[in-house]
Amino acid sequence: MSISTLLENYSEFRHFHPVDDVPHNPYKWAMSIDLDACSGCNACSVACYAENNLPVVGREKYLHGQAMHWMRIERYWDEDGREFPDQGAQFLPMMCQQCEAAPCETVCPVGATNHTPDGINSQIYNRCIGSRYCSANCPYKVRYFNWYDYPTTDNVWPAEMNQQLNPDVTVRGKGVMEKCTFCIQRVTVAKNNAKSEGRLVHDGEVQTACQQACPTSAISFGNLVDPESRVHKQWQVQKVELDKDAQTKDKEEGGSDLRGYRILEELRPYPSVMYLERVRETAI
Amino acid sequence: MKDIREDIAWAQINKDVLKSLENPRRMYWVILFIAIAMVGVAVGCEVYQYTTGLGVANFSNPHVWGLYIATFIFWIGMSHSGTLLSAILHLMHADWRKPIYRFAEAMTTFSLMTAGLFVAVHLGRVWQIYYALPYPNMRQVWPNFQSPLLWDAMAIFTYLSSSILFLYVGMIPDLAICRDNMNPGWRKKLYTALALGWEGTDRQWRNFRVTYLTIACFLIPLAVSVHSIVASDFAMSQQPGWHITSFPPYFVAGALYSGCAAIITLFIILRYVFKFEEYMTMGILKKIVRLTFAIAMVWTYLNLIEYAAVWYGHDQAAKDVLIQKATGPYAPFWWAMNFCGSIVPLIMLFKRFQTHIPMMMAVSILLNLGMWLERWMIVAPTFSHGYYPWTWDHDQWPSLVQWGIVFGSFGWFGLLFMVFCKVFPSVSMYEVKEMVYHRSQATKKLEATGKMAAAGKGAH
Amino acid sequence: MSKRHLLALFTNFDEAEAVVKELRGVSLKGFDANKDMVIKSPIEHPECESLLGEKPVRVQWFTLGGALTGGLLAFSLISASQGNFFAQMKGGKPIVPFPPNFVLTYEMFILGGVYISVLGFLICAGLPARRSPLYSAKVSEDQIGILVQSDEAASGSLKAIFTKHKALEIQEEAGK
Repeated sequence: MSISTLLENYSEFRHFHPVDDVPHNPYKWAMSIDLDACSGCNACSVACYAENNLPVVGREKYLHGQAMHWMRIERYWDEDGREFPDQGAQFLPMMCQQCEAAPCETVCPVGATNHTPDGINSQIYNRCIGSRYCSANCPYKVRYFNWYDYPTTDNVWPAEMNQQLNPDVTVRGKGVMEKCTFCIQRVTVAKNNAKSEGRLVHDGEVQTACQQACPTSAISFGNLVDPESRVHKQWQVQKVELDKDAQTKDKEEGGSDLRGYRILEELRPYPSVMYLERVRETAI
Repeated sequence: MKDIREDIAWAQINKDVLKSLENPRRMYWVILFIAIAMVGVAVGCEVYQYTTGLGVANFSNPHVWGLYIATFIFWIGMSHSGTLLSAILHLMHADWRKPIYRFAEAMTTFSLMTAGLFVAVHLGRVWQIYYALPYPNMRQVWPNFQSPLLWDAMAIFTYLSSSILFLYVGMIPDLAICRDNMNPGWRKKLYTALALGWEGTDRQWRNFRVTYLTIACFLIPLAVSVHSIVASDFAMSQQPGWHITSFPPYFVAGALYSGCAAIITLFIILRYVFKFEEYMTMGILKKIVRLTFAIAMVWTYLNLIEYAAVWYGHDQAAKDVLIQKATGPYAPFWWAMNFCGSIVPLIMLFKRFQTHIPMMMAVSILLNLGMWLERWMIVAPTFSHGYYPWTWDHDQWPSLVQWGIVFGSFGWFGLLFMVFCKVFPSVSMYEVKEMVYHRSQATKKLEATGKMAAAGKGAH
Repeated sequence: MSKRHLLALFTNFDEAEAVVKELRGVSLKGFDANKDMVIKSPIEHPECESLLGEKPVRVQWFTLGGALTGGLLAFSLISASQGNFFAQMKGGKPIVPFPPNFVLTYEMFILGGVYISVLGFLICAGLPARRSPLYSAKVSEDQIGILVQSDEAASGSLKAIFTKHKALEIQEEAGK
C-alpha cells in the first residue's frame, strides 16, 4: 500500500516549495507590520499572553532568557554618545515568521513541526520530544521552550488568574517547544464557519490577538491569495513576492523607495511576514 | 626497542592475562570507587533536572544547546580510535596493535554508550524518546527522516551494535581460553555460554578470519560516516559558525585525535593496574604516541583551514562568530583549546618524552581537555552570536547541574570500562601469541639467511 | 559400525604439519583424511590449514546478501513511509528527498552487512557447537591438536603415526 501511494504520487512528492510550486490555495495566511505605526507599547505582546495561555515566568527566569513571549518587542538604538542612547529606540515586534521553507521543520527528528496546507508552520506539542534542534536552527530565535512545568509552577497563573486561561488553547507541559501559531484557534473557527456556509473566509473575519490589540493598527493579517484582502494589497503595493529570496524591486538601479522588506530573506526561509520600514525621525 | 619479547612462553601469556581477571592492583578498586562516586553525582543532577525541567541546567532561548551536546560529540569522537586500531591497522597488517586493540575496542563501545546517555539527558521529554525510532504503527506515524538527528540515531545504533559484534567475535577464542582455565563458578558458566563451544578447529578459524576481516572492512566507512553525520548536525543547519563544508573531515580528524589521546591515558592506567608491562611495552607506546602526533597535525591543519575559510569567506555573520570566539566571553576557552590541541602535542616530538610515562599521561589528558573544549567551542559561541541581534546579550553560563552531569559521564565511562577489563581479558591472548609466533618466525628466517650469507662469504 | 576418536597434541608446529601431510597420504580403511581429520589450533594458522586442502569459506556471500537487503529495505521503506505520513511539506524540501534517504540507506547497508556476516559466521563455522568428544585445554594454550575419527581397526595405525612424530599426548575415546 505504502509503495503504491509513493509511486502514484511520485512527481508530486518531488518538487521544491515555494519556488517550483503553485501558491497555497485557497488560503495562505500572512502578515504585514508597519514599523512606522508601531509605538512599542507592548499591547500585542500582552494580548498574546492572554490569548495563548503563555506562562508568566517571573523576573528571575526572565533574566535567564527563559521568557515565553511568542510576540516580543525588540528595541534597537545607536550608541552615539548621547546620555540616554536608548531614548527614541526603534521597535520591532518579532514573532514566528511562518516561513514557507522553514529551517526548523527539516531538522525536527520526530516531525513535530510541519508546513500546513494554508501556509502556517505548525507545532504539534504532543509529538515534540524536546531536542530543541528547531530552535537551534531558527534564524530569528522565535521558538520558546518549556524549561519548567509551568502549569504546576507557583505564581505563573496564581489562583483566580487561572480562570482567565483561554479554553480554546491548551497549556503546555515541560519539555516541549512552542511558538506563535498565527492564532490558529481563531483561524480554524473562521474557516469552519465559512465552510459550513459554503464560502471562503472574508478579509477581516479573523484577527490575530496581536492585531486586535494594536492601538495603531500596525499589524494586518489575512489571506495572501485573496485579492481583496488588506495583506494582499499591501504586499502587492510594496512589490514583495513570497517565493523570492531577493526581491526584484531591490535589483533595480538605485534600489527601491518602497518600504516593504522581509527579515533575513537571503537565507531562503521565505518568511510570511512583511515589515514596512520606519521612515520617521526619532522622537528626540 | 622491541614491541614484545619474542621468547615469551604462550602458557605464560595465558597466565598473565588471566591473572588480570583475578587480582589487579589496589589502584583498580580506587579508580572503581571514584568512578561510582562520580556517577552518583551525575545521577543526582539528572534526577533533579528530570523532575524539575531543563531550566535548572540554565539553558535559555538562544542557548538551547550546551555542554550536553558538546560532551555528546566528545564521547562519540572518543569511540573512533578503537576502530582505527582494530580495523584500519588490522587491514594494514600493523601487528603492534594486537596487545592493545581489545581495550581500544572496548573503549569504542563504552564511549558510545556514554554518548547515547547524553541524547537522553539532553531531551526535554526523554520519556517520549521512542518517537524518534521508526517503529511500525497503525497510524503510519514515522520520524522525520530528513533530520540529521535521526541520522545520528541510526548511525550510532549501527556503530554501537556493530562494534559490540566486532568486539565479541574477536573475543570468542579468548573466551574459550577463559572457559578452559576457570574454576567452576558463575564466571565459568558465563564464559562457556559466550565461547559458543569454540575449540579452535580449522573450520572455525577459517570462517573466523574472513568474518573478522569483513566486519573490519565495514567498520571503517561506518566510523567515518558516523562522525560525518554528527558533523552534519551542525553543517546541515543554517547557523553562522556551523554551516561549514569542511566540518565532516574536521570532525573525523578530531575524533581520531581525542580517541588516540584517550588510548594513551588508558594504556598507562591499564598497564599499571593489571601489571601488563610485558605486553603494553614502551615500543608500542612510542608507536601510538607517534600516531597521535600525526593525527594532531592533521587536526591542526583542518582547524586552521576552517578559520581561514571563514575569515576569507563572504559570510559576515560567520566571520563575526569567529571574532567573537577569539575575543568574546568564550575567548579563554577558545585559546586554551588551540593551545592544548596544537601546541601541547609538540611535546610528543621529543624522543625522551615519547616513553616518559608521567609526561605522556599529562599530555594525553591535556589533549583530551583541548578536544572537549573544541566541541564546546563549536556548539556554544554560535548561540551567543547568531544571525539575530536580539539574542546577542543573553546569559549563557552552564549551571552546576550541567557540569555535574558532564563530570559524572567520565565516571560512568570509567565504571563500564573498568568492569569490562576485570570480567573480560583486556589483552587479546590469541593475537599476542600470533604476534609472538610471527615475529619469532621472522627472526628465525632472518637469522637463517644471515647465517647462510655468512657461510656463503666464508666459502667465497 | 562404530567410529572411534583420537586426539594427538603437538607443541611443535612443524611436526603437526608433517603429521597432517602423512595422514593425507596414507590410505586406511575407514579413514578419510578430508572428512575425518580436524586440526585444533590456539592461533590463526593459515599454513597449517592450507595443508588440509582447499576448503571454501562462504561467509562473504552472507555479507553481500545482508548488505544489499539492508540497503534496499532502508531506501524503499523510508521513501514509502515519507509518501504516507509525510505527504506534508517540511522546510520546502521535496516530500521524498534523496540526500537524507541515501545517508540512511548507507547506514542500513552496513548494518545489514555486519549483522548477516556474523550470522553467516555462526552458520558456516557451526557455532554454537556441541563440544567434540575429545578436547584438551592445552589446545587453547600453546599446543596444536589433531583430532581424527576412524574405524576401530584403523585407530592403531593412526596412533603409530602420531607416536612416530613425537606426539606429546594421545587421548583416546573410551571404548564402547
